[in-house]
Amino acid sequence: MQPLIEIQKVTKIYEAAAKVRAVCDFSADIFPGEFAAIAGPSGSGKSTLLNLIGTLDTPTRGEILFEGRRVSQLTENQLADFRLRSLGFVFQAFNLIPVLTAFENVEYVLILQGVPKAERSAKTLEALKWVGLDKLADRRPDLLSGGQQQRVAVARSIVHRPLLVLADEPTANLDSKTSAELMDLMADLNEKHGITFLFSSHDPLVLSRAKRVIYIRDGMLQANES
Amino acid sequence: MFGQSMVKTIQVQLIEKATGVITGHIQVQDRGVKDYKFPEKYVLDPAAVERAILKTPNVEAFEKRIQVTGMISSEKESSGVFICGVEPEKDLRITTMHSYLSAGRYVSDGAREIFIGDDLAEQLHAGLGSEVVLLATASDGSLGAEKLRVTGLFHSGSESFDAYIVYVPLSVLQGMLVVEGQANNVVLRLKDPLRLEETRAALVEALGKEPVKAVTWEEIDHELVAVRDYQNKVLGIVLLVVFLIVAMGILNTLLMSMFERIREFGLLKAIGARPARIVRLILLESCILGALGSLLGLSAGIALIVYYRRAGLALPIGEAVRYFMPFPAVLYMRFNWTTHLEALAAVFVSCVLAALPPAFRAARLKAADALRHI
Repeated sequence: MQPLIEIQKVTKIYEAAAKVRAVCDFSADIFPGEFAAIAGPSGSGKSTLLNLIGTLDTPTRGEILFEGRRVSQLTENQLADFRLRSLGFVFQAFNLIPVLTAFENVEYVLILQGVPKAERSAKTLEALKWVGLDKLADRRPDLLSGGQQQRVAVARSIVHRPLLVLADEPTANLDSKTSAELMDLMADLNEKHGITFLFSSHDPLVLSRAKRVIYIRDGMLQANES
Repeated sequence: MFGQSMVKTIQVQLIEKATGVITGHIQVQDRGVKDYKFPEKYVLDPAAVERAILKTPNVEAFEKRIQVTGMISSEKESSGVFICGVEPEKDLRITTMHSYLSAGRYVSDGAREIFIGDDLAEQLHAGLGSEVVLLATASDGSLGAEKLRVTGLFHSGSESFDAYIVYVPLSVLQGMLVVEGQANNVVLRLKDPLRLEETRAALVEALGKEPVKAVTWEEIDHELVAVRDYQNKVLGIVLLVVFLIVAMGILNTLLMSMFERIREFGLLKAIGARPARIVRLILLESCILGALGSLLGLSAGIALIVYYRRAGLALPIGEAVRYFMPFPAVLYMRFNWTTHLEALAAVFVSCVLAALPPAFRAARLKAADALRHI
């Protein structure tokens, strides 16, 4: 099976006051339909690695291939289009747009894609239904609980049926019960709809649900366990 | 908008007064005249000029006039004056001096009558019905003199007019100056003063080879034009400063907003918004901000102008200008939509230009850095 993502000897060095090697010579593959996690302590380079895979940042060295295609060769607009069509993001801080309703937050991705209004509405409602929030579609984020906001973020990440959802510490701001519910939801989406999920987390709950855990420490691959 | 309206209202009132009390919109004078205010030469063939004017479109009314300097004497006093020989019936349609009548009536054609300001009357110790002697140099070099009866007094509020200008029937002045049938200018009032140059061109064509020239009020009252140009320049500078302040305000607001929304822009980039889309988004926000501001400003401006159009706005400029010409102490504000719309367009352009730096800055953000921003 061809990997969905091939991470080939990727290094990321931040050059601030001092050079910081966030990711070092890291290689791994992610396959379609996986429910995998990148685990490691704080500062180990998980989020940086996820940003590199999500093309939100560029590696200092090495290559990342998406379905065999080198993303480093894409222009800024092509990268934006690639993220728009192929990727979904879930962030630790939810990152919903505060002035938009849950429905509008989810719909925005489809607006960027230029999807016609009727189709957009149907897909948005379906995504909200998948995460169990279709009844709260007209609420703004400040009227939703943390768990509900993260569900909206999950709906936004899957509304356009991406090949991969990248979730950076998705349960970090949630209590245990809500975290478990969120993980159940994402596992369900993975099983029922075949959406590939890749998490970064050090939450044991997330790691226990992941079907594969890639351990990283000091930016280097430590272990790769299924 | 209110400032524009005030300046433009002053200008319009100044021009209306200047053209309405003495100058008219266009004057036909001998080609050799050097001082348009005091034409020292007579028009050779006034009848030919009148025929040409009748063929010219956009002319409301016209009259022949003689304007000379001279002296007026009563039994007790005498004073230097500016003598205006007018065709009384026609003059009523050209100037508004008769509207400043404070006692008696305006002069009648052919009658030995004189219309003087109340300040001059006081100076001469003369009143309605008093006899005065008017003196001026006649065309043959002799001293022309005429005994006239004060038939009306006017009070325009202008020291220059009320103390120095006198109106007499043209035919009487012609006799006194030994220039029967002649005039040193023909004054025209236009139906549409804005078509000044177009009318002048038509008149020049109709005049053909007559040894005369058609001069506009702008050439006669060039000081007024200079004042208007000066005001326009000052207004332009003030507006430029206002637009700079507006632009800096918008720039500041948008930069603050951008810093507050860095994570939001990072998110937009992360989910696939192209940089151009972010630029468009911020420009659109700025345009909406500009449109709302303009709408508020426009509403407030319209309300103020409508109020002061009815109630009038007392300004000290009346006192300053009134020395030179009759000018109302109260301004009745008018709209000047051309300049208002220009200002609106400038506000809009300022909004767009001010939004460009934050828009490009937001578009250049790295998604990963922006999402980490606290």
